[in-house]
Amino acid sequence: MNADVHVEKTIQLKEFTFCKYQLTTHTKVITLSFPQLLQLRKNVKELTRHHSLHQIIDADNFVLLFVADKQHLIYLDIPQLLFLNKEIESFFSSFKSVLI
Amino acid sequence: MKTAVRKQMTINPVVMDLLNNQIALEMEASASYLAMASWCDQRELLNSKEFFYKQAEEEREHAMKIFTFVNDNGGAALSPQIQNVNNDFESLRSIYEASLDQEINVTQSIFNIFKSARKEDDFVTEIFLQWFITEQAEEEDKFRSIIDIFDLMEGMPLKMIDERLPKE
Ligand SMILES: [Fe+2]
Ligand SMILES: [Fe+2]
Repeated sequence: MNADVHVEKTIQLKEFTFCKYQLTTHTKVITLSFPQLLQLRKNVKELTRHHSLHQIIDADNFVLLFVADKQHLIYLDIPQLLFLNKEIESFFSSFKSVLI
Repeated sequence: MKTAVRKQMTINPVVMDLLNNQIALEMEASASYLAMASWCDQRELLNSKEFFYKQAEEEREHAMKIFTFVNDNGGAALSPQIQNVNNDFESLRSIYEASLDQEINVTQSIFNIFKSARKEDDFVTEIFLQWFITEQAEEEDKFRSIIDIFDLMEGMPLKMIDERLPKE
């Protein structure tokens, strides 16, 4: 099985209600408020910078990331981290301000 | 999903990231001016010290203006880390020259965000930044005029030059 396909199934981000979002990992479903989603976006963005990725690879090859105001801790390996970054970015990229 | 984020935020997320960088830049400028103020204060350069203390405060106000703008529009403003503040200077003139360089950098950065806001159709940020563009033009002009005074008064005692410089 292709690694990408596997990752895709394990992490998912969805809009749940007007101001609630849902992050589904292989072990849990986490509800996020919008500020918590912004926080996740920032952390994942920082972790997927070239320099940070190198550090992760040189160390344990995975990261533990606090989400939802530190209520949850999620485990991410590099493919999952990169996938989550894409997932979040696509969530934000469809943003077209004012023109809606 | 297309409008999911738009419902929460009035500003564009990419532009928001740039605004957060700008907050850091303004706070760095504030820290830098504070170091300059201290150098002047220790040497009894009364006008210059007052000028730089005021600049330090103004830069903080700029940062705060952007900070509250980001949060007011549904984004997440980030309190920045300030590192490597230079506290060593060789002369009063070099301080004003370094200030002009710093202001030019800030101006360029504002232009960049403005361009990005245009590209992303983020009209709210575009309008917000207009004040900063005018402000930066004034700031650059202020420092250029001060450096002119140094040129005109070359060879005069430092305290005499300082007395001719603006307090704000
Ligand atoms: Fe400023
Ligand atoms: Fe300034």
